[in-house]
Amino acid sequence: MTDGLLQFSIARRWLVMFLTLAAAAAGIWSYQRLPIDAVPDITNVQVQINTQAPGYSPLEVEQRITYVVETAIAGVPHLEYTRSLSRYGLSQVTVVFDDGTDIYFARNLVNERLQQAKGQLPANLEPTMGPIATGLGEIFLYTVHADDGARQPSGEPYDATALRTLQDWVIRPQLRQVPGVTEVNTIGGYERQFHVTPDPARLLAFGLTFDNIVQALERNNTSIGAGYIERNGEQYLIRSPGQVSDISAIERIIVAHRQGVPITIRDIADVGFGKQLRTGAATRDGKETVLGTAVMLIGENSRTVAKAVAAKLGEINATLPQGVRAEAVYDRTVLVEKTIGTVQTNLLEGAVLVVVVLLLMLGNVRAALLTAAVIPLSMLLLVTSMAQTRVSANLMSLGALDFGLIVDGAVIIVENCILRLSQAQHREGRLLALEERLRTVFAATREVFTPSLVSVLVVILVNLPILALTGVEGKMFRPMALTVIMALLAALVLSLTFVPAAVALGLTGKIEERENAIIRGARRAYLPVLDAALRFRTAFIVGAAVLVVACGWLAARLGSEFVPSLDEGDIAVQALRIPGTSLSQSLEMQLQIERSLADVPEVQTAFSRVGTAEVATDPMPPNIADGFIMFKDRAEWPDPHKSKELLLAQMRERLESLPGNAFEISQPIQLRFNELISGVRSDLGIKVNGDDLNRLLQTGNAIAGVLNGVPGAEGVKVEQIAGLPVLSVEANRAALYRYGLNVADVQDVLAAATGGEEAGQLFDGDQRFALVVRLPEHLRSDLRSLERLPVPLPQGGYVPLVEVATLNIAPGPNQISRENGKRRLVVSANVRGRDLGGFVADARKQIAAQVKLPPGYWLDYGGTFEQLESATQRLTVLVPVTLVLIFALLMMTFGSARDAALVFSGVPLALTGGVVFLWLRGIPLSITAGVGFITLSGVAVLTGVMMVAAIRDRLAGGAAIDDAIREGAMLRLRPILMVALVAALGFLPMALNTGTGAEVQRPLATVVIGGIISSTLLTLVVLPGLYRIAFRRPVSFVAAEVPR
Amino acid sequence: MKTHSLSIIACLLVLAACGKDDAPQSHAEEHAAEPARTGDGHIELSTEQIAAAGIEIVHAGAANIRETLPLYGVITPNAERMREVIARYPGVIRDVTKQVGDTVRQGERLATVESDESLETYSVVAPIAGVVTARNANPGEQTADKVLFTVADLSSVWVELSLFPRDLAKVRVGQQVRVANADAGIAAAGKITYVAPVGTAASQTLAARVLLENAERRWAPGLYVTAEVVLSEVRVNVAVRNAAIQTLDGRTVVFVRTDDGFQARPIRVGRMDSEQSEVVEGLSADDAYVAGNSFILKAELGKGEAEHGHD
Repeated sequence: MTDGLLQFSIARRWLVMFLTLAAAAAGIWSYQRLPIDAVPDITNVQVQINTQAPGYSPLEVEQRITYVVETAIAGVPHLEYTRSLSRYGLSQVTVVFDDGTDIYFARNLVNERLQQAKGQLPANLEPTMGPIATGLGEIFLYTVHADDGARQPSGEPYDATALRTLQDWVIRPQLRQVPGVTEVNTIGGYERQFHVTPDPARLLAFGLTFDNIVQALERNNTSIGAGYIERNGEQYLIRSPGQVSDISAIERIIVAHRQGVPITIRDIADVGFGKQLRTGAATRDGKETVLGTAVMLIGENSRTVAKAVAAKLGEINATLPQGVRAEAVYDRTVLVEKTIGTVQTNLLEGAVLVVVVLLLMLGNVRAALLTAAVIPLSMLLLVTSMAQTRVSANLMSLGALDFGLIVDGAVIIVENCILRLSQAQHREGRLLALEERLRTVFAATREVFTPSLVSVLVVILVNLPILALTGVEGKMFRPMALTVIMALLAALVLSLTFVPAAVALGLTGKIEERENAIIRGARRAYLPVLDAALRFRTAFIVGAAVLVVACGWLAARLGSEFVPSLDEGDIAVQALRIPGTSLSQSLEMQLQIERSLADVPEVQTAFSRVGTAEVATDPMPPNIADGFIMFKDRAEWPDPHKSKELLLAQMRERLESLPGNAFEISQPIQLRFNELISGVRSDLGIKVNGDDLNRLLQTGNAIAGVLNGVPGAEGVKVEQIAGLPVLSVEANRAALYRYGLNVADVQDVLAAATGGEEAGQLFDGDQRFALVVRLPEHLRSDLRSLERLPVPLPQGGYVPLVEVATLNIAPGPNQISRENGKRRLVVSANVRGRDLGGFVADARKQIAAQVKLPPGYWLDYGGTFEQLESATQRLTVLVPVTLVLIFALLMMTFGSARDAALVFSGVPLALTGGVVFLWLRGIPLSITAGVGFITLSGVAVLTGVMMVAAIRDRLAGGAAIDDAIREGAMLRLRPILMVALVAALGFLPMALNTGTGAEVQRPLATVVIGGIISSTLLTLVVLPGLYRIAFRRPVSFVAAEVPR
Repeated sequence: MKTHSLSIIACLLVLAACGKDDAPQSHAEEHAAEPARTGDGHIELSTEQIAAAGIEIVHAGAANIRETLPLYGVITPNAERMREVIARYPGVIRDVTKQVGDTVRQGERLATVESDESLETYSVVAPIAGVVTARNANPGEQTADKVLFTVADLSSVWVELSLFPRDLAKVRVGQQVRVANADAGIAAAGKITYVAPVGTAASQTLAARVLLENAERRWAPGLYVTAEVVLSEVRVNVAVRNAAIQTLDGRTVVFVRTDDGFQARPIRVGRMDSEQSEVVEGLSADDAYVAGNSFILKAELGKGEAEHGHD
């Protein structure tokens, strides 16, 4: 087949060139559609269902809402699991679907089930689905800010309420129109509300209740349409406007008549602008602010969307009142451009180095250029296939690319073509005729095609275990493996089609195989080394074996991390306070934090979210704040070379000095991922499922006790479920009976008094503001006043609340977590100095023996050990299978187990250099380093196959073994050196770069460079000796041709 | 050869196991970052930290604690200073000289009545000095037995308060009461003069009465007022501001300044009013304690518990 393809490419070379151009054009077109982001998206397929239930306590939320929603969702197709949390005023059910489920399909299913559930939910509660976004969705954050001198039309300065109103009614509606934006979330400030705050004493005086006021307001604030009438052929529409529009109109609403005297709102209540009972706040640089977040639709291009948002914000700014500005504080474009810039620089510099090497080594400009052309062409093909397979371009996926590796196949082919063409010209003593030239190109390509095919296949095979990773690891590394595979396949196709066609077209003139000084020097140096290697072969081989063992030992001591985390540049500081901390206290503490950071010279701006935003994508209680700290450009730092670690340590020290906060420092995207995935992040998580919170806690504590006794356990923690101070007002039924009251009468008074009761809306153009009846602030917040809250009696008069109800403050459930429809509590533990599997087995046994579960309660074992177990299982099967497959491939290539084994031996030898280089640079082992080793094994196999094939050719030609080895080695010195040089130099910029994102690529590049040095040396020195040892008697080959 | 493939397997397995140490490491870091706190409620803080955290420190000392009871009430005329005027001899009213609202002296003529029996006219006079609050007499009418005038002396009024069962034990005759009407912007002090011995079944209340001086006539009968009964007013030796008091593990504590920081000191609270609380036990006068922003210290002690509730 390959022969046919080769012949076709050479015969129809113009067509091939045209097709190549067309493919390139397709690549450019696809580039516009390629999703580009900084990091791979590791979010699972999930749908959040948020139900806002103002005033509901966690227990009521769980009972009335969460349970209903969960029950409705249960059994949806492709469901992986549901989890939920019930918190003050919010129920959030997260429905996680199997990976690969279409998100719109999933949302449809959820929506359908929600429709069924709605009937069972309390009136006025509306479950909504979260934005169609992933962890990478929060691409653009801005604050709305007013200058000190700016004044509202009323002459007052802009306060948090005024800014929030601008955000809600001017900025947000416009930003939501930007294509690719699925949601604009707001936190901070206060929604403008009109508050009617009746004085209880005056209500009593008039014998009125909260309800009377609410009804009066509702009945005096509506506009209606009343059809139309016809008159003299004309049609008149009829409407009756009755809405109130301002405070004085509200004040004039009549509530009741007493002896002919109308009693208006004004007589019994104060009316004014009020503040909502908010669940979240935002701060920036030590001041309260309004923070907007543009959330990107799933699968959009973050750079494009963020840019569009920024542009739109610029337009909006021009229309905002004098002195008010919306200022971007976080723009994903910056990070994406920095990382993509890093990748681009690395690739570009690598490409230049590769071209230079080609020029130097081939000594033929045309040949070098056409080889180099493979780089952009295979890139464009790769882009097309990535766009088709929806593999996103990011640091990870593009980071593993090495142009050296990509052009390796082409290098070998072009090198051999030049060699053969010049030899033929020499032989004939003239320029070749077209026919001869084409034949020579065909023969030369065929001769060396096998090694490049084999090396590509080897790399693909070695990537297989990575493709088998699942979960977060899979999402992170599969695109990387896929990209490498696709790029290599593209290069392979090109070297079968474009390269021979281009060679046939381009290398027309006189081809002088110029041995330049480098190659000549290399040959001169190599000859004695080769002789020595053959003579002292046993010593060399033992040395190599020792090296492998030593490196194995070294590798085990390198330390490991899963993936080097991308330095996003900016950091996220999550501040945690004890449960029950109020929003205003939490806000005050957050302001202290920001003020303390104000004089850090590296900090550009700091802003935070405290509590939950309007759309509860991240349902944080008020005691938690997500702080974001944006740094200036390094150039503006007092010391541009200060390391990030040092800076972080200094910041941490500063933060720790503020009492009352615990901190977790991470990075914006990382933080968001953690929030969304939010599984159990410790080694072992034991989930106790059951009904009663107290029994769950008891069981959890018992399990924690047992776990603490299991050797190897560390940091055993029981999930915090209590700790929220709850004021419960329990109606005293005997007292109610005496007064002729119902429980609801008491509850209504309480709810209206503290929570407030909504009594319609006020409209101002598009803007609409709630009209709320609530107790005056000074009475609401004072417990003693609350006790004396008058409850109106049916027969007139009143009774103070405390007479008919018991008020007590006790810690209640902070939040209630459920999973798969049952309450659950997590006991987590980490493992030190012991293998995880053994620990888990031990823990299971001891818990089963010592902890008695109440009936109807059960345990689930989870945690990272689960993923590790499945990954280990997968890999213990796949790694040997891969090795067998590689060996089989080599066997097929050579038709000889011995030769295959010889080539195979190059792989561990190649790895040694990688290990040594990692150790030298102090980089731990990681998956990215692992990808480097994979790349390396491909290169090692490539050089090995070339060398062995050349030697076999000589043997088949009847040469003596020593001569065959020597000649073969000398012949392949140039291609081997070239392959090694391009591969190593191609990665050099990546290894040395310090830009954003470089830390992810560095291990990979380091491994490849180190490994290629060792691999090349060993191929050139150890392989010939090994071949000599393995060779016992002259074998006669039927044909020099390598079977396929 | 075998060693080679084995070492490859070893290498790949090392890679495969990379994830193994990840989670524990990050958790270990978390642990290391947690500040060392002692378990006995002691917190070390420097002066700068205290200033930055906005912690306000004051000294405990003697204070007057006024325990009060807020009640709602209504102004009524002083029933002891009210007279209903009836014509002594039935007859026809010939002339009426005073209208509602007129101030009258004692003995001043209110109306002239012609007796049916004697056909003589005589004056109906005000029995006390006061204000005419009701008039049920017009010229030409028969007096019959009806009340012609009501004259009330408004120089003092009553405040009728409703006492609920829970408050009964606390309220006694003689206690000081502050009466106020926020709308009219007036306030005055009076004393409880009477607590009814008989309750009302419908409202489950007892009436209590406050006598209020009303020389300036600001307290109009019928007005609703708020009243605060001073249950006790005592001078206590050690008192702290209410804002200082926190609960920690079920105990009531205040944070006391020590040389290097603060100490949570369990206390027993005695009487308290809306601003201050008496400390019966656990704190001595002149101890420096945290009066403002004391929650931050509670948060500092409890911050190990603070965790993100996402998982």
